[in-house]
Amino acid sequence: MYKENGQEIFVVDGHMHFWDANPENWRNEYGEGWIRCFYDFHTALSPEEYVWPFEKYCKYGEDTLINDLFAEGYVDVAILNSTYLYEFYKNGFNTHQQNNAIKAKYPDRFILCGSFDPRAEEAGLDAFRQMMEDYPIQGLKLYTAEWRDGSKGWRLNDPWAYKYFELAEEVGVKNIHVHKGPTVYPLNRDAFDVADVDYAATDFPNLNFIIEHIGLPRLDDFCWIATQEKNVYAGMSVAMAFIHSRPRYFAEIVANLLFWLGEDKMIFGSDYAIWTPKWLIEKFMALELPDDIKEEYGVDITPEAKRKILGENVAGLYGIDLPIHREKLSQDEIGVKLAAGA
Amino acid sequence: MRLSLPDTLDREIIFKRLEKVLDPELDESILKLGFVKSIEAESGHLTIELHLPTYWCAPNFSYMMAEDTRRELLTVEGLHDVTVRLKDHFAAQTIEASVNAGKSFSEAFPDETSENLCQLSDLFLRKGYIRRQERLLQNLKNAGLSFEEIALLRIGDLYFENESCRIRRNNGRICDVGDAEVARQYFQRRAEINLDCSPTAPLIIDLRGNEVTAEGLEEYLIRARTVRVALQANGSFCTAVLAARKGKN
Repeated sequence: MYKENGQEIFVVDGHMHFWDANPENWRNEYGEGWIRCFYDFHTALSPEEYVWPFEKYCKYGEDTLINDLFAEGYVDVAILNSTYLYEFYKNGFNTHQQNNAIKAKYPDRFILCGSFDPRAEEAGLDAFRQMMEDYPIQGLKLYTAEWRDGSKGWRLNDPWAYKYFELAEEVGVKNIHVHKGPTVYPLNRDAFDVADVDYAATDFPNLNFIIEHIGLPRLDDFCWIATQEKNVYAGMSVAMAFIHSRPRYFAEIVANLLFWLGEDKMIFGSDYAIWTPKWLIEKFMALELPDDIKEEYGVDITPEAKRKILGENVAGLYGIDLPIHREKLSQDEIGVKLAAGA
Repeated sequence: MRLSLPDTLDREIIFKRLEKVLDPELDESILKLGFVKSIEAESGHLTIELHLPTYWCAPNFSYMMAEDTRRELLTVEGLHDVTVRLKDHFAAQTIEASVNAGKSFSEAFPDETSENLCQLSDLFLRKGYIRRQERLLQNLKNAGLSFEEIALLRIGDLYFENESCRIRRNNGRICDVGDAEVARQYFQRRAEINLDCSPTAPLIIDLRGNEVTAEGLEEYLIRARTVRVALQANGSFCTAVLAARKGKN
């Protein structure tokens, strides 16, 4: 909850992780490479006082996460973006099984994402059904650039992917988060191309596609697609991080999203623990678009737009009733602690 | 940058060649971006050390820069051998060994990718064209030209004086439209991607070589603006990462 001038803003962190990148979990040099790459992003774009030592970054644990999100970071509900990467990490990076440990403890605080990989074909469909039965999965996080048995990626419009989307519709998962962002070593950048979103979004109009990291650096291609497809949303994590060291550039990104998609399609995300929500949200609430950008694009970011972006938009996609959910959160373990501390 | 060159080599030529080596995503020269760490030469053999923004810079783009650097420098008179070194890059060994032996990316990384580096480089050259054109368009607009007037301009209406770019307007008046470099870079890229650069050709053409009409220009510019912002994403990211790495070193 972000409070300002007597107003309470419900905050959903649309994209965050609870990862285990401890050296014991590295399967090979790629496991180390992956987390070092993340750490470079972390040190490059975080304000100095928010930079962690590498060791903590590899594995920060539950207490740190709860504190950074809910106690200090204004977050009410957080979306656990499960990422598997079994070819780099022995037990996976942050699988839905691992994530479910905190989801089970604080069920109203987290939205748990599962996943599928169409390259598992028929056998994967059964595993997908099983996952849906065994875990309280509310959304999916897809990683088209993930390595698997020599394959360096897949596309949302692969025939087998469509079978999984059909199954997702059947079992009632509506929200599909798709990673389309900067290349992370050692993944192939081709697999982050956004063109496949166009096909899937057209062919599955009842599913929502939240494009995480707004396709950066392919913002242009993303904007053309998102303008045409009603069910495509801008997941703003990674882009958010520019707000500190490149504020003008961030303002231009926001202006573009407002211009092409509008304030109802934009979704805040921190990408925790790459960055922490506290400073991102404080700076976002203080954001004003420079006059020349406002004039050039003919858009502005209003307090109402900020409220939507920080929580209301994605809460709507997940069918969260805000007054009811607020009430629930005030009574869970974290809510009680926060009230006692306040 | 550390420099150690014998007098027999022309420094200016070396820098000129390096100016031509671009980071394909950032569309700026590696020299300007500060990626060149050191240049040393002795009896016709030059060794150049590059420092890329991240240890994990995608191998294909790193490869492109290393390859272009070597190719450009080999054209310098007095050099018969060029060795490229990548400082602090995870794939430095593989890239160095292959680039310095004149091998292609797919020979160096047979398992890594199915990508064709030429196609990729072409895509960025074309996006870079739009970005450069957008800068020129903004300058024309800022100088007070209407879309109708811009659409009628031919390349020959533009000329350079000192470091400014000037335009002969249809009312006969001369108008200053900003830095000459902006137009020069635009024309340079326009030639590189084989678009018509003759004096009678329209000043603003799209990637297919078609004229953009006065009515179409506003939307064209709006889209070009978004392409520019998109291209700046990696630049903003990489320079931030590079700065952080330099701070740590």
